[in-house]
Amino acid sequence: MSTDPDPLGERLRRRFVGGSREDSAVKRRHGELKRARLVRRLSQSALLAGIAVLLFWSLNAAGFWSTEWVQYWPQFIDALALYFPPKLYFDLVPFVDVGRYYQFMEEAGLVGEAGITLAIALAGTIMGAPLALLFGILGNERVTPFPLNFLFRGVMSIIRSIPALVWALIYVPLGGITPVTATLALGTDTIGELGRLLTDELEEVDDGPIEGIRSTGAGKPQIIAFGMIPQMVRPFIAWAMFVLENNVRSAVSLGIIGAGGLGVTLTIEQQTFQFTNMMATILFIVGLVISVEMISQRTRSYLREGDDVERLSVYQLVVGFPRRMSDSLFK
Amino acid sequence: MGLRIQDLTKEYGDTTALSGVSFEIPDGSFAVVLGESGAGKSTLLRILNGLTEPTSGGVYLDGQEITNSRSDVGMVFQQHNLADELSAYDNALTGTFNRTGFVRSLLNLQPVEDRELALEALETVGLLDEAGQRVDRMSGGQQQRVGIARALVQQPALLLADEPVASLDPASAEAVMTCFRETAKKRDLTTLASLHQVNIAREFGEQFIGLKDGEVMFVGSRSELTPSILEEIYGEIQTEELREGTETPDSNEPTQTNASDIGARL
Repeated sequence: MSTDPDPLGERLRRRFVGGSREDSAVKRRHGELKRARLVRRLSQSALLAGIAVLLFWSLNAAGFWSTEWVQYWPQFIDALALYFPPKLYFDLVPFVDVGRYYQFMEEAGLVGEAGITLAIALAGTIMGAPLALLFGILGNERVTPFPLNFLFRGVMSIIRSIPALVWALIYVPLGGITPVTATLALGTDTIGELGRLLTDELEEVDDGPIEGIRSTGAGKPQIIAFGMIPQMVRPFIAWAMFVLENNVRSAVSLGIIGAGGLGVTLTIEQQTFQFTNMMATILFIVGLVISVEMISQRTRSYLREGDDVERLSVYQLVVGFPRRMSDSLFK
Repeated sequence: MGLRIQDLTKEYGDTTALSGVSFEIPDGSFAVVLGESGAGKSTLLRILNGLTEPTSGGVYLDGQEITNSRSDVGMVFQQHNLADELSAYDNALTGTFNRTGFVRSLLNLQPVEDRELALEALETVGLLDEAGQRVDRMSGGQQQRVGIARALVQQPALLLADEPVASLDPASAEAVMTCFRETAKKRDLTTLASLHQVNIAREFGEQFIGLKDGEVMFVGSRSELTPSILEEIYGEIQTEELREGTETPDSNEPTQTNASDIGARL
């Protein structure tokens, strides 16, 4: 009955395993490549399945399968309408009622609150940065001999493993739930974060200048101050700006536990169900964070461009900002 | 009297970089160390400057053993090894560090004599007008002259240069070597330079030391440095050029390494 010259078994074998033994070198190679591809696909599928299991397990641990959040979905939709209150403009165009946001921003004095948030971030960064530089340098093997340098690296690791929010909790007995506590927390956090970034940067410091200074008969502090630190100035400023960006965001979250600034406004409005006001505050936070990021990135790219490019003065940076902004918008 | 090196040996684990190196250079002469890469030129100079400790042997200057070698010996490097971010003047001032305390050097409170010394050194190398300029904005040749100025400010008894012109284009190399020779003459400094370009070495050197595999092959004056001796030091290829008189200086690209170029990863 089976007159089929190419039975199913043979076809499958050809498809996945490859040609028969007496085939040519090309066909054998083709078969090998096919098998290799099959193995690769199987292992990729196994990896995907593994990730899916991991996701399922994590959601389960997070209590994702309780039905509550499905029940609350309509409430969330209601809240969305409050987050973004609609309004008909010219009785024609529906859009978010920007006027209500603006009204709250003025009433609540968000500019002043943003000033506090920014001040917490700035003070924390400026206080933490010199210590980060000190710890970063002392943690370098070329400065401090091997086992001792890990003392400083260890301190930075411990600082880093504690989130800024937890540092704030630790400092509460000292400063109460105030901007002072938030500033201390961010200062501590900066030592860990910036110090680590600088440690990496110090590994890449060029040996040449260090050796050059050493060859003059200079002492170790002089070698560090003139061979090493000049090379660190640019990375230090660039990374400090980067950490400042992060610290502005952290200052907002510290406000949420009550430590002052925009975060406080945010929690108060949230807890009193003033969702429109809450969204107004969030939009203000977005504006603040983006402004700081833009200044920081501008500074960093300016440092990156180095000496070949004509330098923009701080004055030009500030005065020319609107023009550069519109340039980039309409490009 | 001059410089006397006696039985200098340096071993790195199993490898011997220098083995029983001994030679003398007359006072105030301009000596050149010749040799292939790996012959031990850099090791020799680094030991003379105290950047590397010898396994055994001694260095004597005018009969006195050099003990405080970094302070007493000025060194010029192939890659200049300046603090790129500082001015030529500030770099020259680092030559005073062997006699300036940390706080004074940090606050730029060197004595007036030392500050004048730095400017005089810059004048000697022809860079007085550029004193305030950052060295990373200078050409390779200018940077190397700042390096010479820094070494001069140390008020050294001996001036060393490890491949001082290997990273420079031929014209700058010529200018830097001329600057070197004239400086050494003006200040009556014994100078020892390692050079791998034979033509430059012959043009500027007075005394020659040939190294091969960590051993001294030859010590003598320019007239004694015959092509056959060069062949012994270098093998045939390099000396061919020299015999035919068509010396093409090494056209190594001027390397402008800017180590401080951070932001790329930001």
